[in-house]
Amino acid sequence: MRVHLTLFGQLSDITGKREMILDDIPDTATLLETLNTMYPQMANTKFAMALNTKVIKENTILHGDNNIALLPPFSGG
Amino acid sequence: MSERKPKNIFHQGPIPATFIAESIQKHSTQIGIGGHSIFLGQVRADVGENGKVKAIDFTAFEEMAIEKMHSIREDIFSKYPITCMHVHHSLGEVLAGEICLFVFSSSAHRKEAMEACNEIVERLKAELPIWGREILEDDSHQWKVNK
Repeated sequence: MRVHLTLFGQLSDITGKREMILDDIPDTATLLETLNTMYPQMANTKFAMALNTKVIKENTILHGDNNIALLPPFSGG
Repeated sequence: MSERKPKNIFHQGPIPATFIAESIQKHSTQIGIGGHSIFLGQVRADVGENGKVKAIDFTAFEEMAIEKMHSIREDIFSKYPITCMHVHHSLGEVLAGEICLFVFSSSAHRKEAMEACNEIVERLKAELPIWGREILEDDSHQWKVNK
């Protein structure tokens, strides 16, 4: 499945990108493994994952097009 | 409760004092209100081991933040007898000393307005996907950490 990935906060520093498209990603655990291989520094960074604006905590099977955002700890206000 | 629609809370750049004054003025027609509570967040020139903060550049996952703020708004309205609440948060660069957050709640009596305002501020800091990139005086940057 295709994933449209948006990276926020320090994750955009680590990857040098705000957005990415990744193909052949069957589930969110595979997405994390792929990213950790591409950017080993990501393993040291705490972040949450949102699928179409909803935070997901468990491995999730992806269907169709998927908008996934990676969210480091919030620091608004 | 379902008639309220999600509002865009984001404001490009600092929030001017004139905007805040106009917002207060607009409430003069609502004569059932007896108390307003206002919280203003100002960018602080923190001094850390990497240097002094001269500005914060805010980014947000806007779609999710607006959805989340809407659900906080619904919770606050069901918990407190407030007349209205308004939230404005900056995006982009805000210099030290400028305002980046404006929270405004109003009710018939002061206590509810003050409690609601405090809870809105605490919840939005914890729950809205917004990030502050602190720009230091030497133009390097670090990511803000909320305490």
